[in-house]
Amino acid sequence: MGISVRNLVKRFGDKTIIDGISLDIADGELVSLLGPSGCGKTTTLRCIAGLETPEEGRIEIDGEVVFDSASGIMVEPYNRSIGMVFQSYAIWPHLTVFENVAFPLRVRRRPNAEVEQKVVRALEMVGLGAFRDRSSQQLSGGQQQRVAVARAIVHAPAVLLFDEPLSNLDAKLRDRTRAELRKLQRDLHVATVYVTHDQAEALSLSDRILVMSEGRILQQGTPEDIYHAPTDSFVADVVGAANFLAVEFRGQGLDGIRAVTRDGAPVRASTGSVPPGPGTIMIRPDKLRLEPAGPSQENRLPGTIRQRLFLGGHFEYLVEVGADTVRVISVVLMQEGAPVLVAFDAVDCVALAGAGAAVS
Amino acid sequence: MTTLPARRSGETTIRVVFVLTFLVTAFLIVTPLASLLYGSFQTGGPGAPSTFTLKNWGDLASRALVHTLFMTCFISVVTSVFSTAGGAAMAWLVYRSDFRYKRSLVAAVGLSFFFPGFILGMAWVILGSPGGVFNDILEHLFGPDVIRFDIYSATGIIWIQVLHILPFAFFTIRGPLISMDSSLEEAAYASGATPWQVVCRVTVPLMIFPVMSSLLLCFVLSVEQFAIPAMVGIPGHVHTLATELYLLTSFSPTNTGLAAAVGLSMSAVTGLSIFAQRRIVHRRMAPTVTGRGYRVRELSLGRWRWVATAACVFYVLMSFIIPALSLIYTSAIKFFVANPFEAAWTFRNYVQLWDNPGTLRAFWNTVLVAGGGAVLGLTLGVLVAYSTHRLKPRGHRALDILACLPFGIPGIVIGLGFLWSYVYLPIYGTLWVLVFCYVARFLPYATETVGAQVVQLDRALEEAAWASGANRIASFRRIVLPLLRPALQSGYFLLFIAYFREIAAAALLYTASTQVLSISIWAFFENANWGVASALSVITTIITVALMGAVMRAPLKL
Ligand SMILES: Nc1ncnc2c1ncn2[C@@H]1O[C@H](COP(=O)(O)OP(=O)(O)O)[C@@H](O)[C@H]1O
Ligand SMILES: [Mg+2]
Repeated sequence: MGISVRNLVKRFGDKTIIDGISLDIADGELVSLLGPSGCGKTTTLRCIAGLETPEEGRIEIDGEVVFDSASGIMVEPYNRSIGMVFQSYAIWPHLTVFENVAFPLRVRRRPNAEVEQKVVRALEMVGLGAFRDRSSQQLSGGQQQRVAVARAIVHAPAVLLFDEPLSNLDAKLRDRTRAELRKLQRDLHVATVYVTHDQAEALSLSDRILVMSEGRILQQGTPEDIYHAPTDSFVADVVGAANFLAVEFRGQGLDGIRAVTRDGAPVRASTGSVPPGPGTIMIRPDKLRLEPAGPSQENRLPGTIRQRLFLGGHFEYLVEVGADTVRVISVVLMQEGAPVLVAFDAVDCVALAGAGAAVS
Repeated sequence: MTTLPARRSGETTIRVVFVLTFLVTAFLIVTPLASLLYGSFQTGGPGAPSTFTLKNWGDLASRALVHTLFMTCFISVVTSVFSTAGGAAMAWLVYRSDFRYKRSLVAAVGLSFFFPGFILGMAWVILGSPGGVFNDILEHLFGPDVIRFDIYSATGIIWIQVLHILPFAFFTIRGPLISMDSSLEEAAYASGATPWQVVCRVTVPLMIFPVMSSLLLCFVLSVEQFAIPAMVGIPGHVHTLATELYLLTSFSPTNTGLAAAVGLSMSAVTGLSIFAQRRIVHRRMAPTVTGRGYRVRELSLGRWRWVATAACVFYVLMSFIIPALSLIYTSAIKFFVANPFEAAWTFRNYVQLWDNPGTLRAFWNTVLVAGGGAVLGLTLGVLVAYSTHRLKPRGHRALDILACLPFGIPGIVIGLGFLWSYVYLPIYGTLWVLVFCYVARFLPYATETVGAQVVQLDRALEEAAWASGANRIASFRRIVLPLLRPALQSGYFLLFIAYFREIAAAALLYTASTQVLSISIWAFFENANWGVASALSVITTIITVALMGAVMRAPLKL
């Protein structure tokens, strides 16, 4: 039955932090809350956990109403069937690894044999089988994270809540742990909310991504949807590097939307539907190609290379195209200051209403 | 859709605990204060027939009392200035210079810190009274009546109090000095400042708030002092508000109403000072960094090293070693003579202690009050600190203020308040009165110690327990309390020591059956039984110092 949230509102003082969020998460589904720092992801998660009391709305966990402002229901966190991994991990320093993980079972007064068996299994699932009698103060960051995960899953909760569980790990460890977390969640088949501000994490882990901004959900969908067909320049920017071209839309044709840049160059985009008028076209940096200078054609815009950065496997160019600057990923070596044609395909262009963010 | 406030079962638990904590605290602290206020408008003493009067407040303006007020302020200001100057200088020596004997100095200052004031006062009477050791030596050196040393004077009071309060200034100032961002000083060196310029232009200006804070705290400690001005001032006819209050209460013709008015005025002085001090503390004491343990550049003392060493040795001799030796000496001779070569040595003072049922009883009472009382005091302190720093329900600010009040109320005044209010309660004349009084008087010790650690405690540690299924009480017991253990330990022993050696409040509240050690020592001393008083002091000091040494290593560490 997973999680169901309806019209959640949370205020701190007179600041509205969560502004009417609704979401549904099915059993076994992993949903990411993605958004910049301060947009209310953690607060949403804490409302689901019962660590914050929302002002309005209704929350159900596993079919049970745990919060309902209309009928004044507020179930305490300890009476909700949740497992939670905190950003700081919150490993209790006075307890051993074993006792940290055993805690949810101990407070539920499970018999010792069951505790033993379940804790051992949870520790093995996170790869800490050999660490059971360690003091929790002798753990590295990665090990603490694993203990926190084991503690969250040991009592087989109906939902799992993760608050940026990888943000305190170094880059290499983060990539490895990401894959392990995904497998773990698949095996457990439990509804999971995963809070992160890292697009790579959200894209690779999620069944579904909810992009948040200022306490609202801007767009939700599968990672592919969100990445390739954002409906909003903010969303486009949050889920990956994006270039924005300011254009004037001319209208919908059979083969996509036609538009012209401010310099009058024609552009065609086959994703998105926008009424005629000023707007933005979004293209990912790896979908742009650099070609030798030549006359401007449709989806081939003249530009000048302003900066080249060598990034190992490829170059990253900043190219001035009319009044816009775009970022281009390319393996072709070109000189700074050289005139080029920036080429792209209509299928890679997303038409968006409103102005886009400038490439810095 | 109408919205009802959501009901949480956990809130009820919190509410009940909070209300109980609040009521107990209010009862302990408001009752004595309210009774004092009531008493200051009464003609008769507690329990006696009496009517309303304004005379007590009018009598405050009498010449004698105004003079006492000025004398108290004079003594306290001078004490505070000298203590803070000395404490700051020592802190600077230890934490900013290449002074050789840092560890020994910190340990010695710690010893003086735990040396009970009334015992230090007694030792100095033995040393500095007209027939005492120092005058004997002076007489031998320079002949009779050339130079005399009179401890029974305002100077004598100041001298002993500075010795006693200086460690307090040291510990107040060293915290901010240690945590001060040393890169601020390094930046000054890098800008080309000489060491002395760095001290004058960076270190001292940055330490101005901690120093002001120390000045105010030492002033309050001095105003509160009872035992030292009583032992030294009363014979010398130098009165402070604390001794005046005692005389008004304990010697006929008693005037408890006037004493109440004096006590309240005293509290006004100390309370305002504490209020000012808290404002200073809240305005960030000094720019600090956390977690960066850079070793600060040590300033070379050069030729001044010998001056610094001599000054520190002098202080340690005067504040602990010589007084302790004089007590040991006095406790081991038959009749007091200043010259040890003429003394008749004996153990009979210690034997007499053992044979005296009154002393044994006092010892047992003290253990009960300090050992058991500290459990109660700590429990209340934990509840208050946890409520005000973590739970923060409606009304927690009021509780915070309430729990801080005793900081600004001198011990003898709280004692008087309890005298006024508890006469009417069935526990009057039992040890409970002392326990309640001490719990109230030293509540801030407990709340500050525990509160400091509650603040440090990551909220997520407790939330993780709830998310794991532990309710409020279970998570408090299984997670919060174990994590607070270091603070609970030091809090307990801090309270134990404080209760163990408290004399001001006890002086007003004790009865024959509730005598405690501090009172016994004082009584022996007042009866000119210096030998037994010294023997008991030696034992008390050993217990105090041993306890502190065993448990509270922290303040003694570098
Ligand atoms: N207890 C609180 N009191 C007041 N404001 C808060 C509190 N918790 C969070 N906020 C505010 O709510 C906003 C969202 O916070 P949060 O949910 O932690 O963001 P995120 O996790 O997306 O970075 C922030 O602006 C933060 O300052
Ligand atoms: Mg967050």
